[in-house]
Amino acid sequence: MRPTAAAALLAGLAVAALLAQQLWSVGALALALLCVCLRAGRRARPYLWGTLFSAGFVFLLSPLLQSTGWHVLWSGPDVPVLGQLDVTTEELRIAALNALRLAAVGLAFAAYALLLDHDRLIAASTGRRSVLAAALATRLVPTLERDASGLVEALRGRGLAPAGLKGHAALLSPLLAGSLERGINLAEAMEARGFGRAGRTRLPSPPWRAVDYAAVAGAAVAIVVGALWL
Amino acid sequence: MALATVEELTFSYPGSAPALDRVSLEIEPGEVVLVLGPSGSGKSTLVRALAGLVPWFHGGRFAGRVEVAGRDTRRARPSELAGAVATVFQDPEDQIVLAQVEAEVAFGLENVGTPPSVILPRVHCALEAVGAAHLAGRRVTELSGGELQRVCLASALALEPRLLLLDEPTSQLDPAGAEAFLERAVASGAAVVVSEQRPATALRLADRVLFLDRGRIVLDAPRDEAVAWLDEHRPAWTASPSTTALQGAVGEVVTRVAGARFAYGGGPEVLGGASLELRRGEVVALTGPNGSGKTTLAKIAAGLLEAQGGTVERTGRAAFLLQDPGRYLVRETALDEVALGARRDRAARALAEVGLAWAERAHPRDLSSGERERLALATVLVTEPDLLVLDEPTRGVDPERKAELAGLLRAQAARRATLVVTHDVTFAGEVADREVSLGAEREAIAVVA
Repeated sequence: MRPTAAAALLAGLAVAALLAQQLWSVGALALALLCVCLRAGRRARPYLWGTLFSAGFVFLLSPLLQSTGWHVLWSGPDVPVLGQLDVTTEELRIAALNALRLAAVGLAFAAYALLLDHDRLIAASTGRRSVLAAALATRLVPTLERDASGLVEALRGRGLAPAGLKGHAALLSPLLAGSLERGINLAEAMEARGFGRAGRTRLPSPPWRAVDYAAVAGAAVAIVVGALWL
Repeated sequence: MALATVEELTFSYPGSAPALDRVSLEIEPGEVVLVLGPSGSGKSTLVRALAGLVPWFHGGRFAGRVEVAGRDTRRARPSELAGAVATVFQDPEDQIVLAQVEAEVAFGLENVGTPPSVILPRVHCALEAVGAAHLAGRRVTELSGGELQRVCLASALALEPRLLLLDEPTSQLDPAGAEAFLERAVASGAAVVVSEQRPATALRLADRVLFLDRGRIVLDAPRDEAVAWLDEHRPAWTASPSTTALQGAVGEVVTRVAGARFAYGGGPEVLGGASLELRRGEVVALTGPNGSGKTTLAKIAAGLLEAQGGTVERTGRAAFLLQDPGRYLVRETALDEVALGARRDRAARALAEVGLAWAERAHPRDLSSGERERLALATVLVTEPDLLVLDEPTRGVDPERKAELAGLLRAQAARRATLVVTHDVTFAGEVADREVSLGAEREAIAVVA
């Protein structure tokens, strides 16, 4: 399948998850996207952890910040500014729905980052500069992961394995500095290779196949069904 | 008519002393020019000036004139020179733009407006020329450093440039790979300007040699004349691998690896039963072609990786210096960086030992690549380990500094067992008591005394 068509399908499924109102339908979409992500194997781990953490955060926190529903499951203390903390069945349902929506969007992005051929996506795009920037930003996650492992390994080689949250947080600044340096070097190499020059051409791409048309149609159908019936 | 002309070029990076000082030269079509010089002598700046990146990309004070393929680089942007000029930089990971090899090699061709119908044939022809046709469909993240460097050369050759600029392009290649790389570059027929810190092969292929020191050209001569000058004035640059046995007194076994096996993440086996014994007082060079598992074996010896088969015995503390000195830049000053693992007075002494006493207050990221390598070395030396493992410690380091490094390791040899993973045969000859060569078959180890 062409990456453009695959990207359209992933975007369609993410939008459908945002529009759908039923727990089961959003859950099914998230599950389908999870299965797609698992095809990437171990590379999917940081994305899955990130998605799980953010969706779990939304599920746990949002019931405490809402005041919706009548079926109270738990009554907590009165907190200044926030008022009384309580959890109702309705709040739990809304929290679960929002958490699943967030998970579906996160998993759609993970599938895009992990499984699509970004080079062909760039080649097919009319806005090459912005798509190239997006593709390079997408590669930032695995690059940062590799750089972080390298920093930790270098410290271990000095007998200084970073410990705890504070130890790992101390690596953020050098990680960022390293990324900026890499970005400057890459920009220099791109300039030297003619990037930004007028009159560029593009590598011919293969013609669209039935599966590509089906994926784009599937994206449109997912959005409509998500908005009207799910 | 000259392909490139540099007239009285003086250039300073913002807030710095001149990196190039009244440099003048001409490069003829098809000429192969080798640029030598110590770290920080202006080699990379000269290469960047010929690509137009100085002053366009870096800013700074620029005086004089550089003309390449009939265009003044003060008026033509580097992107406009691309095609006539192609550049391969030192670190392949910092110049790869796209995710797939074929698209990566096509990137430059697309930018310079090559007709679509000829892009793919030229991509495949360039990959073929560097012996990387089999990599066409691969993702760049799956490639080794050596393979990435070949892809970078293919990207440059695909442009069919008239001037090919190579800035220490073989730093990650074994000697055979480096030789093949440079031979392919020269065979392209373009004028080649190559800056190198392992000059033996490049010296053989060059028509002419420039030697830079503190931004000035101190030698510009045909190859044979240049070799004679180097022999007399800078002998470290023409030193042959030593065959003298250095064996000093050796003590107890510090590390013994027997029959180690290892595979990364369920992939093919990288080590299939390798053995290694390291004794206090000896310096051992671990050599072998790219992909033979040298780094993996060294990490197992130092305890950074756990062998999946075989046995590892180690006494005392081990320290490991990674290939990439960028991994050692986590503090704001060089002294703080080294003091992360020790008292400040010991850290200052370690910095002095590697010739960086002047850089105590410098930000580690302001140091050149060779200086970063020495800073990284100080960060492991300061821990005073019983086993010191250095993975490619001479990458980006000039021959004179390499000789100093070899001297330092020899002087401290009695304190510990030292394992040096290296492609640099000259350095291995200077520093090691014995050489352990890991063969391409990744199992058998031949020990050369």
